[in-house]
Amino acid sequence: MSEDTSNETKGIDGPLLRRIITYLLPYKGWVALAFVSVMTAAFLGPLKPKLVQITIDRDILTGDLEGLQGMIMLLFGILVIEGILSFVNAYLTQWIGQRAIYDLRTKVYRHIQRQPLRFFDRTPIGKLITRTTSDVESLSQVLSAGVVTIMGDLFKLIFISYFMFTLSWVLAVVTLAVMPLMLIASFWFKKKVREQYRETRKQVARLNSFLQEHVTGMKIVQIFGREREEMRRFTDINDSHRQAHIKTIFYFALFWPMIDIVATTALGLIIWFGGLNAMSGTLTLGVLIAFIQYARQFFEPIRNLSDQFNTLQSAMAGAERIFGLLDRDDSLKEPEEPVKKDKVFGRIEFQHVWFSYNPDADPDDKEAEWVLKDVSFSVDPGQSLAIVGATGAGKTTVISLLLRFYDVQRGAILVDGTDVRDLLLTDLRNQIGLVLQDVFLFSGSIERNITLENPEITMDQVKAATEAIGASDFINRLPQQYEYDVRERGMSLSHGQRQLLSFARVLVYDPGILVLDEATSSVDTETEEVIQRALEKLMEGRTTVAIAHRLSTVQHANQILVMHRGEVRERGSHQQLIAQDGLYRRLYELQYREQEQSISA
Amino acid sequence: MLCEKAGSPRAPDLPVGKRVLKRFPPERAQPHLFSESFPMRVLARLNRFFWKYKRLFIPGLLAALVSSGFAIVVPIVVRMSVDSIPRFVTLYKSYQGTPFADALYAEFFVSLLFFGTVIIVLSLLSGGFSFLMRQTVVVASRHIEYDLRNQLYDHLQNLSHDFYLRHATGDLITHATSDIEQIRRYVGPAIMYSVRAVVIIVTAMTAMFIISPQLTWYALIPMPFLAVSIFFVAHMVHSRSDALQKQYSVLTSRVQEALAGIRVLKAYVREEMEATAFEDESRTYRDRSLDLARAEAAWRPIFLILVGSASIIVVWIGGRLVMEGAVTIGNIAEYLIYVALMTWPVAAMGFVITMVQRAAASMDRLSKILDEKPSIVDGDQTDPSIDTITGAIRFENVTFRYETEGATILKNVEFDVRAGTTLAIVGRTGSGKTTLVEMIPRLLDASEGTILIDGRDVKTIPVDVLRRAIGYVPQEVFLFSDTIANNIAFGNMDADSAAIEAAAEEADLLENIQDFPDEFETFVGERGITLSGGQKQRTSIARALIRNPDILILDDALSAVDVNTERTILQHLRRHYGKRTIVIVSHRISAVQDADHILVLDDGAVAEAGTHDLLLSMNGIYASLHRKQLLEAELEAIE
Repeated sequence: MSEDTSNETKGIDGPLLRRIITYLLPYKGWVALAFVSVMTAAFLGPLKPKLVQITIDRDILTGDLEGLQGMIMLLFGILVIEGILSFVNAYLTQWIGQRAIYDLRTKVYRHIQRQPLRFFDRTPIGKLITRTTSDVESLSQVLSAGVVTIMGDLFKLIFISYFMFTLSWVLAVVTLAVMPLMLIASFWFKKKVREQYRETRKQVARLNSFLQEHVTGMKIVQIFGREREEMRRFTDINDSHRQAHIKTIFYFALFWPMIDIVATTALGLIIWFGGLNAMSGTLTLGVLIAFIQYARQFFEPIRNLSDQFNTLQSAMAGAERIFGLLDRDDSLKEPEEPVKKDKVFGRIEFQHVWFSYNPDADPDDKEAEWVLKDVSFSVDPGQSLAIVGATGAGKTTVISLLLRFYDVQRGAILVDGTDVRDLLLTDLRNQIGLVLQDVFLFSGSIERNITLENPEITMDQVKAATEAIGASDFINRLPQQYEYDVRERGMSLSHGQRQLLSFARVLVYDPGILVLDEATSSVDTETEEVIQRALEKLMEGRTTVAIAHRLSTVQHANQILVMHRGEVRERGSHQQLIAQDGLYRRLYELQYREQEQSISA
Repeated sequence: MLCEKAGSPRAPDLPVGKRVLKRFPPERAQPHLFSESFPMRVLARLNRFFWKYKRLFIPGLLAALVSSGFAIVVPIVVRMSVDSIPRFVTLYKSYQGTPFADALYAEFFVSLLFFGTVIIVLSLLSGGFSFLMRQTVVVASRHIEYDLRNQLYDHLQNLSHDFYLRHATGDLITHATSDIEQIRRYVGPAIMYSVRAVVIIVTAMTAMFIISPQLTWYALIPMPFLAVSIFFVAHMVHSRSDALQKQYSVLTSRVQEALAGIRVLKAYVREEMEATAFEDESRTYRDRSLDLARAEAAWRPIFLILVGSASIIVVWIGGRLVMEGAVTIGNIAEYLIYVALMTWPVAAMGFVITMVQRAAASMDRLSKILDEKPSIVDGDQTDPSIDTITGAIRFENVTFRYETEGATILKNVEFDVRAGTTLAIVGRTGSGKTTLVEMIPRLLDASEGTILIDGRDVKTIPVDVLRRAIGYVPQEVFLFSDTIANNIAFGNMDADSAAIEAAAEEADLLENIQDFPDEFETFVGERGITLSGGQKQRTSIARALIRNPDILILDDALSAVDVNTERTILQHLRRHYGKRTIVIVSHRISAVQDADHILVLDDGAVAEAGTHDLLLSMNGIYASLHRKQLLEAELEAIE
């Protein structure tokens, strides 16, 4: 699933960063508050060694116990405030960031969902999942800690420098002299580790894909007796993985002592210079001890800054992909002045429809890859139309167009005399009940799958629908009945049961038009009877367009359309078409005659 | 990974039938927070690794000792230098004006320089040894990780088909990656931190007690609180990040399902509802994130307040003791550094306990896999003298079910195929064809009845001898992300390029390959080109043919190639007629009609059997299938 989530280093791109920051605008009051809090903490931290200096020089060395106790109380007070602020900072920045992330995520999701089916035909689902999950996630650090923390750390460095300079500028210069070393060490380390991480990630990916592939294909490995050879290859990959990690250990092993050495070097310098200054009377012991503490305080903000720099870089790649998605909107145009329909009678008409899945197909080009060529038909309200034909005849396309999953290149599709392009999508689709051949169920309860989480549909309606369809028998036998979890894609139900649920779905939505793509796979005779009765119930009083695989469906259809290679070849009733002895006759022999035999048998 | 169910366009009508993944409930029952015996008992299994890498562990732990030793001396030097300052200053003042003063200043200059240098040298030494410590102990943990993972993979290769039907691929990958990583953290960092922590805490406390027991007691008050609160917060962070991870999967599968079912959503105008539901899950995810953020935010005040108060206590109590003359100002500086030195080791103790617990839980899961016994291996019945196979196959009353009380997949199947002849099997999806052929290379063993190869019970033939004699083309084409040549040579490692080319030719794949950018060296799969279904199937056939097998099994292996290619391949196969037994499963009459013996399976039982002509004259399932396919061909021909 990690097709292109590589957070490879990119430069920090100003406009892109500004666009990310706009997601913080709704929370600008909170951001300001976080800013104040971070600043206060950045001041209080460096204040403490200064106060220790005062109490040593003023109270301890002079024996002023009361002064000491007063100062200790003050220090404890500052410590508690600083503690509270540090919690507030960490939490508040996350609180803001997670809200902004939530906004961005739902925006991305809604954008994707709004796209037409053409978009889903060409974009792999995995890619879209990555956009809504890990790509959004990669921005979370920037949006939460990001800006505020960077400012906090910068100011912390400034405050430390300020206190040091006011205490003793000589020692301040001496201490700051090692700072470049610390900076170089930190940034060198980050750079090396980042390079090394890239290598490590590569090795981890290799290891994972080897495992994934070999666990999935273990049967092949075993049948072909390749265990020894594959073990050898696994050992190789495992070894490269180990080597990559061992190299990373080297940098870590070097970095931590290095930082410690730099900090201690500062300490050594402070002792030397400080001691000499103390000798000449320009420096007190308290100042010396304060500097010992400052030398250690310096490191944290520097490390944080180099961390932040990194997350900023990796966020850029994710941001670019997300905004790339958001900036392209292909959703179908809604009519400017939609025709309103209170009730649909259900008259359907295809007028000389030409269609190609290539959106750029030239309507006048007869040579383009037309899936439908000049298809015309009409169905009166309450009547039924059966579409038959071999695979690739264009049957499924007809129903996709009726639901306006795609727009036609030539001709028109009319519902009750209105072009579907002049209706609001919701108005059109609300009037059509779709049953797909491969019934799609969502994981979750039976109830959820029938209502599709429409709160207006009551449990009584669900029960009545399943009763009418004949599905209540099997549902009542399930462990939790209507609460029974059908699992991903309805795995825990049989094919026939899944069909019945999709019928019940249509019944509770009660549309004027039924669009049916009958399943080819056979079910046992008992279920077949239930399904046939259910279908009769469904078609009652509804205009029906069915891709027929059942003999009963074609026999009872008012009109049969025989399609072949995108064209309508024959039309008429079952009896008429049988008599013609054409395409239909052969299809009948192939697909339906056996059912007749099994019924008569 | 290339994995595709080639062929059969019909969705199998099997709710819980064929390949049910019987997933065990996730065994994530966390051991009780403080139960000591469980982690140690489980982790004892790793002790042999400590012994194996003693050459790294012993020097590493010694380096940890030495490094801590040097670090602990630094504060002492600081104290000496700080205390020397007022002494020198007093001395210097009393000699001011005399020639002695300059000499004194020079001596002081030197001694301070000496102190400063000693501090730097000590930190260099301490740093050097700490470098060595990481380079040995952490490196050793990577070696152990490597060993464990090899052991696991080796074991996985030995486990039989039934094990893979019971375990989800994803779970097994998790064991090989994250569980082993958890264990590594125990054998490496956890052990290293503990040793270092114990050394620093013990030596620093000793040094502190020698100076002033009273000041030490006070200064150490916050330390136990620090360890305990770190432990609890670490525990909280782990459980909350697990909860967050879980919600992340919920969110991901919600998107996945919605996008996979986008037609239904759009057709029923449920987009708005689904978007709202997605927002609910996103909100839960946000709340879980904030739960975690709260726990993580707790680190800071804990560290700050506990460590900070230790310093303040040092100044406070130390200050009073200085006034009483019991300790010096230098001691305060020294104690401040000790407290700073001890912070991380004390906190580490809190982390280490959680690390050990998580490692134990991971080891427990891993042990369950490692203790699993392969069900199909050579045993007492095996006759090691068998080393060749001619290819006669006989099923005697064979019945198969996955579990003892499970549904019967095959019922009393009987047939007899002479070596060198062709057996064809036809039947609907789910009629048991694949199960039947999987029993020949012993991917599965019969529940009842006997399978005989060359007249001998298949269980007496050594598994590798049996499989070496078989070329198998599975229904679900599985190729590896490797070159075409390597995928074909997978069937026979010793094959030279001429043999690979011959196999490709026989599988009617050669022309295709010659059109590829790098011919035989073209990569297939994620990193290379995408093969069509038919090309994949033919590669899979070439892989079986290159073995020059005595028994060739084609499980619906021609479903994705057109009729002409099928005919060519079948003609190629016929060249070996009489020398090779062929078992061919197919939906197409054209592929099976010339077989010596045709079995029609229906619902796990043999419904019809005989030659093509005989079966046609029976006018049953086979004859009706034949009729339909003629009609299909006729329709296909209409322009």
